[in-house]
Formats: sequence, C-alpha cells, structure tokens
Amino acid sequence: MFIRPAILSLLLLASAAHAQDLLNVSYDPTRELYRDVNQAFAAHWQAQGHDAPTIETSHGGSGAQARSVIDGLNAQVVTLALASDIDQIAAAGKLPADWQSRLPHNSSPYTSTIVFLVRDGNPKGIQDWGDLTAEGVEVITPNPKTSGGARWNYLAAWAWAQKNGHDPAEFVGQIFANVPVLDTGARGSTTTFAQRGIGDVLLAWENEAYLALAELGEDQFDIVVPSLSILAEPPVALVDGNIADDAQRDLASAYLDYLYTPEGQALAFKHYYRAWDASAADPADVARFPKLELVTIDDLGGWAKLQPQHFGDGGIFDQIYVAK
Amino acid sequence: MSGRPLISRTAMPGLGLSAGITLFMLTLVVFLPIGALLWQGAVFGPAAVWDTINRERVWAALWLSFRLSFLAACFNLIFGVILAWVLVRYRFPGRRIVDAAVDLPFALPTAVAGIALTALYAPNGVLGSMAGDLGWRIAYTQWGIWLALVFVGLPFVTRTVQPVIEEIETEVEEASATLGASRWHTLRHVIAPMLMPAALTGFALSLARAVGEYGSVIFIAGNIPLRTEIAPLLIVIQLEEYNYGAAAAIGLAMLGISFSMLLAINLIQIWSRRRIGHV
Repeated sequence: MFIRPAILSLLLLASAAHAQDLLNVSYDPTRELYRDVNQAFAAHWQAQGHDAPTIETSHGGSGAQARSVIDGLNAQVVTLALASDIDQIAAAGKLPADWQSRLPHNSSPYTSTIVFLVRDGNPKGIQDWGDLTAEGVEVITPNPKTSGGARWNYLAAWAWAQKNGHDPAEFVGQIFANVPVLDTGARGSTTTFAQRGIGDVLLAWENEAYLALAELGEDQFDIVVPSLSILAEPPVALVDGNIADDAQRDLASAYLDYLYTPEGQALAFKHYYRAWDASAADPADVARFPKLELVTIDDLGGWAKLQPQHFGDGGIFDQIYVAK
Repeated sequence: MSGRPLISRTAMPGLGLSAGITLFMLTLVVFLPIGALLWQGAVFGPAAVWDTINRERVWAALWLSFRLSFLAACFNLIFGVILAWVLVRYRFPGRRIVDAAVDLPFALPTAVAGIALTALYAPNGVLGSMAGDLGWRIAYTQWGIWLALVFVGLPFVTRTVQPVIEEIETEVEEASATLGASRWHTLRHVIAPMLMPAALTGFALSLARAVGEYGSVIFIAGNIPLRTEIAPLLIVIQLEEYNYGAAAAIGLAMLGISFSMLLAINLIQIWSRRRIGHV
C-alpha cells in the first residue's frame, strides 16, 4: 500500500536532485520575455539530449536584484538593466571585472531605447525632448536613484540637451520639475500613467511602451519617438562564483548563448526588444521599430564615470532637487 | 536542601531561567539588528553620519515622516478609542465583522494596502475623483501619505484600548451620573483617566509603526524630493546606490528621534498613572 507512493516520491526526489537547475536573476520588465525564453530553451536543451532543466527567474528592481546576488542569492545567471549593477557584483568578487567582453555586443543580446508614451491623439502635442519642459506638461518617470530604467531616461534627455545646445543640467532639472510622481520602478510609473491617469507623457523603455499598448489598448495611448534617444543595453552575465559544477556551467553558458541564437533573438523581437539577428524573427515584429539616432553610454563617457557623477550621493541628480 | 524558598511567588520557572531565555531571544531578535545598525554607523564615522543627515533633503524627509506619523497617530488615538468604545459598549448587526475587520491592516501586505489606497484616491479613483470635484487632491500629496499611515496604525489604538473598556463597569458611569455629574464631566474625569495609559500605549505603537512604514506609502506618496519623500525611501535609495554607510546614518537618525519620542510618551504615561493612582 505504502510502498508505491514511497518509491514514487523517492524517484521524484532522485530526479529532482539530478535535474539541472538554474536561477536567472533579472529585472522588472523582462517577466514576459524570460517566461518564453525559459520554455523555449528547456525544449532546445532537451532536444540536444540533456535532462529537462529547472529554470527559475526572479524579477525586481535591477539594483535590488544585484544587491541580493552580492548578499548571497545563488544566481548562476544575471540579466539586469545596467552594466553598472553587474559591475557591483563583479566588485564583490563573484565574476571577473572584464565580464562585459565575454559575450557579443557588450554582453547585451537585446537592446532597447527610451520613447514617449502619450495619451491618445497626443493632446499636448509632444514630439521631442524639448517639449517636456513646457509649462503645464506633466512628465512621468521613475526615480533614477532607485530605477535602472530611469537612469536611461535621464541620460537620454541629457544627450539630447547636449546635442541641441542647451545646458544639460538645467534642461534635465526642468524636466524633473514637471514630474508629479516619482515611482521607485519602471512598472510603478507605467501603472501611475496608464491606470491612475496621472501625467501627459511617460518616459518608458520602448518595450514597456509597446507592452502597455498591447495590454491596455492601442486606442488609449500613442508612442512618440523622439529625434534622439539612448541605446539602452541591458547586459547578461554568468556569475562564476555561483556555479556549482561543470554541468551547471555548461547549462548556464548554453542558456546565455541561446539568447543570441536566431530563435532567442526572435523571442526578443517578439517582446518588443531591439535584437541583432532578425533571421528567424517575424518580420512584423522587426518592422515596428522606427529608425532613430541612438547615442551609446560610451558616447556619454561610460557607466564607471556617469554613475557616480550623476546618480551618486550628492551627484547632479541630487543637486537638481536641492537647487530649488 | 537547597536554598530555594519554600513558597515561590510564581508557578513559573525561576528568575534565572526565564530572564536568561528572555535576554537571549531579545538579543537575537532586537539588539543584534540594532547593534548591527549602530556598528555600521560607527564604521561610517560620526562625522560622515552627520554629513549625511545634515542635508536639506534628509531634513525635509525626516520632518515629513515624523510630522505625518505624529498627525496620523493623533487621529488614530481619537478615532481608535471611539471605535473601541462602540465595539465594546454597543450591540449592533455586523459588530463581529467590524471587530474582525479592525485587524485587516495587520494582515494585508503593506504594498497591497498602498496600491489599493492609491487606486481609490488617485484623481481617477472612486474617492479621488469625488475629492477632485471639490478641488482636493489626496493621492500624491502629503494627505495621501497621512491616509496610508492612518490605515496601518489604526488597529494599535483600538486593540490596546478595547480590553480596558471591557474592564470598566457601567456602574462606574452610573454612579457618576447618580452623583450629579454631567455626561461630559463623567467622560473627562472618570472614563478618560482610566483609558489614558492604554490609549497612550496605542498612540506610541501607532506612531512607531507609521515612522518606519515604507510599502504602503511609496505608492501613494508621489516621492518628490523635499515635498513628498519619506525618510524610509531615502534609506532605500542609499541602499540602491550601495551606500550602506549613508543608509545606516539615516536609519540611526530615525532611531534616535523615535527613541526620544517613545521615551517622552513613556514619561507622560508614568506621570498620568501617578496622577490617577490607578493601574
């Protein structure tokens, strides 16, 4: 009577112990992407004659996620919003400092940019960054101190001001003077804008903006693409310090490499990310991305310089608020 | 035999054992984390701690947090006592449901409470749009923060005062009335002094909870520096920037202010107990 369930559960335990597992610590807006990637990769891995892997993904604010990994969360793979967050994990000794050169394209299998989401018909006529400082325009963005996405927003505005002959600090300060709610993360800002009806324009990851259109209705919002924006490179890395054995290392590397395969890239396109290889992607997914001028983080000086200068304690962002 | 007294004053195990267990647990649960905070502050250095706190933005956040927590606790003191009074003294349909509902703010994850309050009080929410018609804005202002703090703190006052009200015999009020006291006089000179110590305890708990509240507030606050940014958010910001020292410094400031406020409340309590000569 009892033997069969006992044997069954033993078998289950045994298979659980043998099955390979992987924890991918990611940031907030990649939930939908990695749900698909995990499923597709598991099938791909089994098709190569391996056991079914158990892949888990944890989501949260990029900085908070990095801190969990530093403090001991056993992630074999991190896929975060900012290279500087992974740099912090590297500074804690969990992976080599040159991690970003280990995978193609600065270790960013997909990229995104910052666009504007406005209310249907664009009642305030917002076309470019310069319109955001106008009197009576309410701008929604998360707080650059707590949100990786918001740092891209901020730097994109900065780059536009530099290019168009404005004093960048003053210009960005004027934008933030028009911000009525500073959420702590990108999803919070999307909710504030879309569901609470606050603000005239949401500065958003392009993929979040498309997702908001798909989830909340194309008849409610329009996407406005500014003349210039930033090439946001959310990087991925293998956390060497958390790899238990060679089998797990193989699984983790294969997982990251899969993101660069035509199938993995097609999934990135499907989830509104700009990826590199469109060969397997649905042409409709690729066609929706308009061409625009994109500055890179290296054009602006690189994270190692920008992070402390702008977002560090007492940095330019802090000064914007205290100056008033 | 042993030197143990023949008649023990309590049926519980002796002082040594119970005090040992108490101190051990208290150390593990309370003193160690607070010690770690102090240690982090000490490593950071007193000068650096002061430099972190002594900034306009930090002062603004501390002032906002403590002022709104105090105002929320004041509201909870009055409304919580009335609520407890109604629940104990009156019988009405649905009383048990109301009684159980008082604890809900404890059970709800604070972020859920924050999102629910924001949905209600946002300009396009049910209550927020009604307020908007009157020209009031609640969500994303200090009113919103106050509301969230009232929500999370209310059960403390009600639950500490309730058993005391249950203890007060209606005969006391009847006696007072028989001796010619007006209702107001009875309330002020008979009932209020008896409720005072418990109500102050509830006030202190509600205040302490509000000061440290994070989850429910950040959704409704707007989080604009110098205007609607609470001190716990500044701590989280410092942690996001990997500035453990600065986070500890603001934490220490909050701890110090809270401790002095709670000490003051305790002194008032002792004073009020002496004055009444009761409990």
